[in-house]
Amino acid sequence: MDELELLKKDWKQNENQFESFSDSDIYKMSHKKSSTIVKTLFYISMAELVFWVLINFLPFVLSDRMKAQLEEISHSWIYIGLNILSYAVIVAFVYLLWKAHNAISVTDNARKLMKSILKTRKIIKYYVLYNLFIALISIPVSLYFTINEHPEISEKLTNATSSQLIVMSLISIGITAVFLLLIWLFYKLIYGILIKRLTRNYNELKKLEV
Amino acid sequence: MNKELEKSFVEQLQKHQNIVHKVCRLYTNNADAHNDLFQEITIQLWRAYPKFRGDAKFSTWMYRVGLNTAITLYRKSKRSINTQAFDTVQFRIKAEEYDDTEEQQLKLLYQAVHQLNDIEKALVLLYLEDKDYREISETLGITEVNARVKMNRVKKKLRTILNP
Repeated sequence: MDELELLKKDWKQNENQFESFSDSDIYKMSHKKSSTIVKTLFYISMAELVFWVLINFLPFVLSDRMKAQLEEISHSWIYIGLNILSYAVIVAFVYLLWKAHNAISVTDNARKLMKSILKTRKIIKYYVLYNLFIALISIPVSLYFTINEHPEISEKLTNATSSQLIVMSLISIGITAVFLLLIWLFYKLIYGILIKRLTRNYNELKKLEV
Repeated sequence: MNKELEKSFVEQLQKHQNIVHKVCRLYTNNADAHNDLFQEITIQLWRAYPKFRGDAKFSTWMYRVGLNTAITLYRKSKRSINTQAFDTVQFRIKAEEYDDTEEQQLKLLYQAVHQLNDIEKALVLLYLEDKDYREISETLGITEVNARVKMNRVKKKLRTILNP
């Protein structure tokens, strides 16, 4: 006999061997707290949004001078434009996340469900990449302005030889890159652990359809 | 939520609870994990219930939500043993241990099924439940042809695990 037929025979015979839950057990269970990958992804994405918004506000909180400087330029069109842009990006991401999150339905077929969850994760990934990109630009820019603001540093810099300048720029670029890389690896690790099983199962189904 | 709705849900699930138990049996390997998964599937079923329409059979709908929860949504709690760890512990079934009696063979078969991956387990479950390839393909989101192909591969894989 086919192995699976033998298994099926036994499976049917043992159909009623399970502990039977009563109506009240089921009622209680249906109101318990759920713990799913979708929920975890949702919390992580919220933390992500809050984290980067806070990072942007950090200069205001940490340094009075920075605050004064920012207030000084707060009427310039560039500053207002950049601000509007950054808020628009946040709003766009919140909207995309909300849409992707709503599209996740447990009653879809397995492949579609996995695809919608992976799409949500992709949006979070793009948001992180966007912020890392902004950080990559703003760190050297702020460094440049800091140097310009401090006459003693800029004086030292004008006296420095060109090779010293190159070494200094390389070091600062290196530190920025390492810092951003570490953040990126950290994300990779978190999501890697979280969606490892999901990705594997999705690929298994996708492989069949090729 | 509506009390009537809740009552009809609990009644239907109570009646068909074996479907959930069977999903749990394939995807977990101890009583605690079984009950944890049962609870999560119950939560997911209840949340999806208001949108459940009579056009699908309640049991068909349960297989789908149950498998989706087991394969994709469920995050194992601390007290459940990771099925992945279980998967990697390869049961080496030695030739001399292989007894031809049906019971022994069944025991080995269940062990072999537990070694399959999540998708293969879903195929086995639907097969054991006498679901046709159309329903299997609709539940997993693959074509009927591919469901057949995959099922044959699973059978072959089981044979290989049983007779290494």
